[in-house]
Amino acid sequence: MARFRIPGREERRVRFVTNPGVDDTDAAMERYANGDNAAFAELYDAIAPRLAGFLRKATRDGVATEDLMQQTFLQIHRARGSFIPGAPVMPWALAIAKRLMIDSARRRRLELALFMHAPADDDRMTSEPTETAAADDFLDARRLERLVQQRLDALPEIQRTAYQLVKQEGLSLKRAAQVLGTSVTAVKLRTHRAYQALRALLLEEGGAA
Amino acid sequence: MSAELKAWVLAAAAADPSPTRAAVHRRNILISMLAVASGVGAFVSFALLTSEGQLVRLGGEVAPHRHLERSVWLVVTTAGGALSVAAATLWFALCRGRSMLGRPRSWLLCGIALIPLGLFAWKVSCSLAFGDPMAEWPTRPGLKCLSFSLLVAAGPLLAFLAARRNAPVHPTLNGAAIGVASGACAWVALDLWCPVAAVPHLLLGHLLPLCILAGTGALLGQTLLSLRSR
Repeated sequence: MARFRIPGREERRVRFVTNPGVDDTDAAMERYANGDNAAFAELYDAIAPRLAGFLRKATRDGVATEDLMQQTFLQIHRARGSFIPGAPVMPWALAIAKRLMIDSARRRRLELALFMHAPADDDRMTSEPTETAAADDFLDARRLERLVQQRLDALPEIQRTAYQLVKQEGLSLKRAAQVLGTSVTAVKLRTHRAYQALRALLLEEGGAA
Repeated sequence: MSAELKAWVLAAAAADPSPTRAAVHRRNILISMLAVASGVGAFVSFALLTSEGQLVRLGGEVAPHRHLERSVWLVVTTAGGALSVAAATLWFALCRGRSMLGRPRSWLLCGIALIPLGLFAWKVSCSLAFGDPMAEWPTRPGLKCLSFSLLVAAGPLLAFLAARRNAPVHPTLNGAAIGVASGACAWVALDLWCPVAAVPHLLLGHLLPLCILAGTGALLGQTLLSLRSR
């Protein structure tokens, strides 16, 4: 008769960390939570680009993005001891960033109101032309990109954030709902409304062309 | 992102040591012991001051020449059931499941609303099942029980909030859930101490403190558990 043994807690933890199917980011956070300080740099490299992308699109302000990045990573660092084994890091990091962003915006409400009406920054929306694209096609594409960004900026914040998390960050509806603290149905509705607004813009541009 | 930003973040983290998982585990054990000690200490102190040190009271004088007493099995059943609910509520409020984002909002709202009602329903149904007359005690409207609950739950509430530290999502609701959990623990002690089962008394002295603790927990959660930017 085969012997059946229930794996101990430590064994289950090690099995999780060394499982090749597990995200490297989550494994780095797991090691950092257990005291491997060198894993923090690895964690930073893994999540900083996505976090920066999310914050940059949400704030449209490089200085605020860097400031919020610093605060988010320090919060992650301070809370490492309470990190739940097996929990995904990215939604947690995004939720922290979002909460800090909201709190920062509350403190600087007037600046944010002014910022919302500022024109889109062309430098952050460059797209490299392919070798075969004609110059006028390239200009049309840039103009459309700018219009799309303006339409996104004009959306209510809750719709814009839901769209960014699902369509641009690639989170599942369930994860996005957890980050936003709402239901899956609400996230679906918000992204659908954002998508409809952008679709209307594309139809207008298509009709005008 | 710039290498300078990365260097700054790594240096800031190195300069501000944070506890590892093992250290947090030890800290939470200590906090739990403090929570239990404060709750039990408040219970014993209150009993010493108001009921000559009696922690479990089976009955008393309802009116001159009228003495009512509840059965030991009624006490065991109601307190035992309340203990199970309190344990489940602590798990619900303090554990975040498999996600660092915690329980969904709908779960938190249901728990905050249903757990106090569940405790109340358990108390009433056990009293009915055991044939307790659920008579009104004119000298015991429920204010002592209200004070008792708030006093016994105060220490655990602060301890549990300290153990939780922060909640990036729904800090207010998480605080309210922790308030209900500390109130559920106080309910167990109250079930042992209070022999009155009249519904108006239960509403004022047993259920109302849970609502107050939920509200207090919500306010404290909003202040203490929210993430703040610099």
